[in-house]
Amino acid sequence: MPGGVLKPPPGFLAITALSRCPLLEQSRLRDFEARCTQESPPRCRLHCPLDMDVRAFMAAIAASRPNEARKLIERHLPLPAVLCAVCDHPCENACLRRDLGGSLAIAELERFCLAHTGPQMRILPRPPKKQRLAVLGAGLAGLTVAFDMGRKGFPVTVFDSDRVNPLLVAFPQLPSAAVEEEWQGLVKNRVSFKAVPFEDEETAGMLLTELERDFDAVFLDASRYAFAPERQCLAPLTLHWRDKVCAGGWSDVTPTGARYASASRQAGDGRLAGITLQRIMGGVSLDAERSDTRDSRLHTPLNGIEPSPRILPANDTYSASEAVAEAERCLQCACLQCVQECVYLQKYREFPRLYARRLFSNATVVKGTRTTANVVMNGCAMCGQCETICPENFSMAELCLEVRRDAVARDVMPDSAHAFALEDMEQACGPDCAFLLQDRSLPQGTHAPRLFFPGCQLAGSRPEQVFSMYEWLRAALPGGLTLLSTCCGIPAHWAGREALFARHAAQLRTLWEHNGRPEILAACSSCMAMLNLSLPEAHIVSLWEVLDGLMPQFVHTATTHAFPGRLTVQDPCGARHDPAWQKAVRSLASKAGVELQEPTRSGEATACCGYGGLVWNAQPELAATMTQRRAQALGGPMLTSCIMCRDRFAAILAKPEDSWHLFDLLPQTADLIPDRGVSGLSARRAGRATLRRLALGPGLEDDPQKKFPLHIPDTVLASLEQQFILRQDVVDAVQGIERTGARFKDRESGYFLGSWRPRRVTFWVEYRADADGGFTLIRAWCHRMVVPGAIQPSSEVILEKRIRA
Amino acid sequence: MALDPEFKPDHGDWYCTSCDVPLQQQKVQVLYMNSAFDVILPRCPECGLTMIPESLANGKMAEVEALLEDK
Repeated sequence: MPGGVLKPPPGFLAITALSRCPLLEQSRLRDFEARCTQESPPRCRLHCPLDMDVRAFMAAIAASRPNEARKLIERHLPLPAVLCAVCDHPCENACLRRDLGGSLAIAELERFCLAHTGPQMRILPRPPKKQRLAVLGAGLAGLTVAFDMGRKGFPVTVFDSDRVNPLLVAFPQLPSAAVEEEWQGLVKNRVSFKAVPFEDEETAGMLLTELERDFDAVFLDASRYAFAPERQCLAPLTLHWRDKVCAGGWSDVTPTGARYASASRQAGDGRLAGITLQRIMGGVSLDAERSDTRDSRLHTPLNGIEPSPRILPANDTYSASEAVAEAERCLQCACLQCVQECVYLQKYREFPRLYARRLFSNATVVKGTRTTANVVMNGCAMCGQCETICPENFSMAELCLEVRRDAVARDVMPDSAHAFALEDMEQACGPDCAFLLQDRSLPQGTHAPRLFFPGCQLAGSRPEQVFSMYEWLRAALPGGLTLLSTCCGIPAHWAGREALFARHAAQLRTLWEHNGRPEILAACSSCMAMLNLSLPEAHIVSLWEVLDGLMPQFVHTATTHAFPGRLTVQDPCGARHDPAWQKAVRSLASKAGVELQEPTRSGEATACCGYGGLVWNAQPELAATMTQRRAQALGGPMLTSCIMCRDRFAAILAKPEDSWHLFDLLPQTADLIPDRGVSGLSARRAGRATLRRLALGPGLEDDPQKKFPLHIPDTVLASLEQQFILRQDVVDAVQGIERTGARFKDRESGYFLGSWRPRRVTFWVEYRADADGGFTLIRAWCHRMVVPGAIQPSSEVILEKRIRA
Repeated sequence: MALDPEFKPDHGDWYCTSCDVPLQQQKVQVLYMNSAFDVILPRCPECGLTMIPESLANGKMAEVEALLEDK
């Protein structure tokens, strides 16, 4: 039988390293950041030697904001009038629209933008720098160096035979007016021109030697002088040739051997060389902190994008409406694949890389600054869907778990975030609910080879079904079966409480070893993951696989409810990486005669119902949105194999009975559905105690809640559930208040009001005394703040503490 | 982040059943996560039993609790 060798699902980190530094390391942040590519440049920008932000440019044009688009051109492109006229636009070849209707007409739109807008950025001349720069050759590379360095305040002198002609020769289509226009700007930035005769290479070589002597740095435009070194002779990162000289601006060669001038490449050479020349003048390292590789990993999903043909201008150039229509074809390349699927990631309008940054900076800032770290880290369902969808496997679960553990270690985790879930875990492991039932058919001292671990939520919601299934399995499996009802420890794991989880894991281990190290049959995928962490050497298999093996066929015999017919299958997020679980569930459902439908995201990519990661406790509204979203995606009656999925869907459906658990289809359990409605928090706690009584016998019938006559109307109970107030809490409160007599009474209604603080929560109960000697709860509320004088039974203690403080 | 100074019962005419006296609006210090706030609340002048109305618990108090927790 398979099982026991599952790798922990994402978010279920191994807990081998319990000792760790309390503050998160910056290197961990880098690890996380590197796995989200959303900030990597899109292909158009990546292929532009001048780093033009084409995506933002397209967005501005599409939004009819050409002035904003022009600002982007001015920010990124040197000599815009020249470059926009002659650019060979490598961006267009790289455009992802290429095979979806044709690349965006980027160059044409840039020309449109320049033609329809005036200059947007006022370039204030910088204070002049001492070092002077010479540029030999007024080609596009040379003038780009002059443009960039002039703006930085370096006095630049350009040497050539003519200041306009060299560009006109290289780019015959270029209007001379454009060159003149750019020269006006250059002159304003202290770029001067000096005509030198262009006689032969030898003279030019001698001139270069002179310039090297007279200037602090020199750029040699290779498009103008053949004695310049070949491109391959220079380091591509710096274009440094010798001493204080850089070169660039070579012509390119087509695959058929024709030479041509690539405007983008020549201007790109100029920009690169400019940086090197500035470093030469500053006497610093030429290549430190520079890289010639750029992050090209931005993943843009193209599925579902319809082809859309390029808009061609009716006349020579685009009209305003044509330009907008063309720019609207831009895909605005972005990944965001995880964000599109996840309500939590959408909530703060960011993507994982920024979440990582925010969480790390919040974890390291001085306490006292108002932050939102807690809501961010505690909003993740830790379901692992993002990790599965992400091409780089970014895991928000892993990130949030680390940050939660860090917050717990530094004692800044808010108590309220997970207190209820941890109390629930304590109750599920406590004497009222937890038990181990040895197989009574076995001789004393022998152990069954298998153990059934239903999980505390299934036990709480469906105690009768669990026990019936146990009895059936016990008879069907050779050698008998042990039943263990307790919590697997996942609330502690999700809450980042490593020490608590480790303690619980140790208790489970003791139990497992004392009972002969049995194979474990788990009915909950989260339990399976946790048991794999706690007992890595145990053989753990899903109940569904066992049942599928034991029942080659069966008949759906339920009499208490109508047969569902067709259901959409919801894979639990805990079983995302467990194909055996998924297969067995489908197999059992089809044996029952159910026609199964697959939702858009199923199997490995399934979405969480909102129970995961304790979001239901920390941020109930967010968890409710997750439930809603997933139920909508399933689109109709659903089949779950996780009781939390089942109960959460049931809670929001108009017809709760449309949410099915696999138990509801199996002959052993189908007739034992306790209530097809919603199983609330209080009911689940009572359910665990019920299973214990079923298993250990009626002698243990001792439910204090039943003894105390407090009537809670259904509407009031629903309000309690929303506030995480348990039936037991209000029973204790009324009982305690009546015992001490410390309460208020309303003369108008005759209602009593009192408070009870059994732990770090104060419960307030308003109730009336009934004629039959019992009580009826009118309403209840709770708070965490400590109010002296409002606390029972220990108000004196609190008051004294306050006085001492 | 200061609490509004005074909160009265949401409804009714309440008295303390142990002391049989009507409640008075008195200044009380409420405490949470190393912070303290002075609030005027309905209180029994004899035994000091203090009332937190539902609107305060689910309104301002919940808001301030969340603020302090997220600090």
